[in-house]
Amino acid sequence: MNAALFRFFLNEYGKRRKKSALITFALFWGTMCVVLFLGFGQGLTSQARISFGGLGEDLIMFTGGQTSRAYQGLPKGRRIQLYPEDIEFLQKRIPEIGLIAPESYNGFAVSAGRRDLNRTVHGTTAEFAPMRTQIPKPGGRFLNPDDVRDARKVAFLGWKVATDLFGSENPVGKIFFIDRVPFMVVGVLERKLQDSTYQGPDADQIYVPFSSFGQINSQPFLSRIHIRPGDPRQSLLIDERVRTLLGRKYRFDPNDRYAIGVWNTIEDSKEFLGIFRGIELFLGIMGALTLLIGAVGVTNLMYAVVKERTQEIGIKMALGAKRRVIIFQIVLETLFIFVKGAFWGFLAAFNIIHLIRRIPLNYDAFDLGGYLLRPVFSLRTLFVFLTVVGVLIFLSGIFPAVRASKLNPIESLRYE
Amino acid sequence: MIEFRGIRKAYQTGSQTLEALRDLTLTIGRGEFVSIMGPSGSGKSTLMNIIGCLDTPTAGDYILEGRNVAGLTLDQLSEIRNKTIGFVFQNFNLLPYATAWENVELPLLFNGKNARRRRQRVTELLGSVGLLDWKEHRPSELSGGQQQRIALARALANDPPLILADEPTGNLDSKSGEEIMTILSDLWKGGRTIVMVTHDDRIAAHSQRTIRLFDGMLAS
Repeated sequence: MNAALFRFFLNEYGKRRKKSALITFALFWGTMCVVLFLGFGQGLTSQARISFGGLGEDLIMFTGGQTSRAYQGLPKGRRIQLYPEDIEFLQKRIPEIGLIAPESYNGFAVSAGRRDLNRTVHGTTAEFAPMRTQIPKPGGRFLNPDDVRDARKVAFLGWKVATDLFGSENPVGKIFFIDRVPFMVVGVLERKLQDSTYQGPDADQIYVPFSSFGQINSQPFLSRIHIRPGDPRQSLLIDERVRTLLGRKYRFDPNDRYAIGVWNTIEDSKEFLGIFRGIELFLGIMGALTLLIGAVGVTNLMYAVVKERTQEIGIKMALGAKRRVIIFQIVLETLFIFVKGAFWGFLAAFNIIHLIRRIPLNYDAFDLGGYLLRPVFSLRTLFVFLTVVGVLIFLSGIFPAVRASKLNPIESLRYE
Repeated sequence: MIEFRGIRKAYQTGSQTLEALRDLTLTIGRGEFVSIMGPSGSGKSTLMNIIGCLDTPTAGDYILEGRNVAGLTLDQLSEIRNKTIGFVFQNFNLLPYATAWENVELPLLFNGKNARRRRQRVTELLGSVGLLDWKEHRPSELSGGQQQRIALARALANDPPLILADEPTGNLDSKSGEEIMTILSDLWKGGRTIVMVTHDDRIAAHSQRTIRLFDGMLAS
C-alpha cells in the first residue's frame, strides 16, 4: 500500500463521526492493565532478587550439626562442630571455592554513653562483606584484612544498632563498648532489603574482626562457614565436597543430612526466582486477557463499521479498489482506534508506575511493600506490550476487513 | 470493443432459477454510443453489470478489448474497472465524507498515480466539468447536477475508453439532465465508447443505436 492511500484513509477516518468512546475506554483500561501487570510482575521478580541478595549473593553456608546415623563404629547423635582451622583445610582442598569466611557469634552487653543494649556480636573476616552484602554507608568501611591480622578493636554496625547506640550522630570514629572492651566504629551498614536471616536482620548486628572476637568470646568453635563458589554453577559440587572432606575429618557419613547444616542460597534462589517468573508470566497473561476484552469490542465495532459502509465499499470496488486495499483500510482504522485508547492507557500506566516507585520502602521490617512498591518499566515491558497490542490489532481488524473485501460490489452498491 | 457470445446469467433464488440473460450475443464497436432500453426485469442491469466487470456470466464468453473476461481473477477485474471503464450511476454514488476533489482523486489513488500527476489530473477534470471552485465541497453541499458532473469527472479519471452510464439523468431535472447528456455526447465525439441504460426515449435519442431487451433476450 502506498503512502497516498494511507493519507487518504487517515483523512477519511478523521472526518467520520466516532462512535467508539466506550471502546476507547475499554482499550485504555486494557492497555493500562497490561503495562501495569507487566511492570508489577517484573518488579516482583527484581525485588525478590534484591531481597534474596540481602542475605547474600552466590552464598553457601555451613553450620555444625548432630549425626543421625551411626558411622565407622561411632554412635549416632554425636555433635559435630566446625573450627577455625577448617577454613584453611577446605580452601586448600577445594579449588572451586571463590571466597570463604568464618563467622562466630554470641550475645553481648554493648554500650555507648548512657545507652546499654544486648546485641549479637559477630567475629568474621573481610571476605564476609561481598558474600553477605555488607555495603557500608558513605564515609565508612567494612572490616579489612589488616583489622583481622592485627586484631584491631574496630566494629561495623548494622544501621539500627548505630541509631540505638549513637542516635542521629555519625558513629564512624566513635568508641563504644562490647563487654566493657572499647571498640571503634569504622562503618555502618547501608540500608537494604533482606527477606531471610539467621540471627535477625543485619540491621541489628555488630561485626568485629574474627581475631578480636576470639579475645572477648571463649567458645572455640565456629558458628558458620560462608563460601562463595568461583562459579555459581558449581554450588552443588562444593556442597558435596565440603561434606565429604569434613565427614572424613570429623568422621561422619557425608550423606548424613543432619551431621552438618547446609544452606545453599544459590539453589534456593533458583527455585524462588522460578516461582516469581511464573507469577510474572501469569500477570502478563492476565493483562493481555483484559486487553483482549477491548479487542473483542473493537472487532464488533469494525463489523458494524463494515456493514454501515457497505455502499461505500461497493463504490470503491467499482472504482477499481483491489481486495487488499479494502482490507488495508479496515485494518488501518482498527489501528487508529487502538492507538487512541492504547496511547492514554500506556501513558497512565507509565505514570502510575513512576509514582508508585516514589513511595519509600520500609527497610526495618521486610513486608509486602518490599515486593510491590518497585514496579519496573523496562524495554522488555515495552517490547512485550507492543507485541501483544500488535497481535490484537491484527486479529481484531483482519476478520471484519476480510469480510468487507468479500462483499459483492453489485449488492453493496444497491445497499441503503 | 465489447463482444458477447452466448452470454447466460442465472440467479438461484431458493429452488427457483431466474434467468436474467438468455444466450445473449451482441457486439458494440469502438466509438459507438449505444442505449440499452427495456422494461423492468428485462436484464438491463445484469447486462450492465457484466459489461462493467462487476459480475461474471454463468455461461458464454465476454470479450472486452480482445480479452476474455471470464477467466480473470477478482483483482484483475478490479484493474479493468479502474483503467478501462468509467462508471456513472443514477444516484451518483459519491463518497459522502469525501470532498469533490477527493472523490475524483480516488480512482487515481487506486491506480497508484503520484501526487503531482493526481493534482494535475483532478484539476483538469474538475475544470472540464466547471466545478473547480467547488473542489472543497462535499456531495451533500452540491446540487444533483453538480454531483453527477463530479461523478463524470471521477469516471474519466484514468482516461478509460469505455463509459458505462446507468440512468445518468434519472435523478436530475431536465436542465441538468441536458447538461450531462451534452458532456456524454462530447465524450463520444472525442472517441470514447458509451453504453447507457435509460427509460427515456428522448435521452436515448442522443445515442447512435438502441439495444432493446425483453426477458433477457434482444427484443428487436
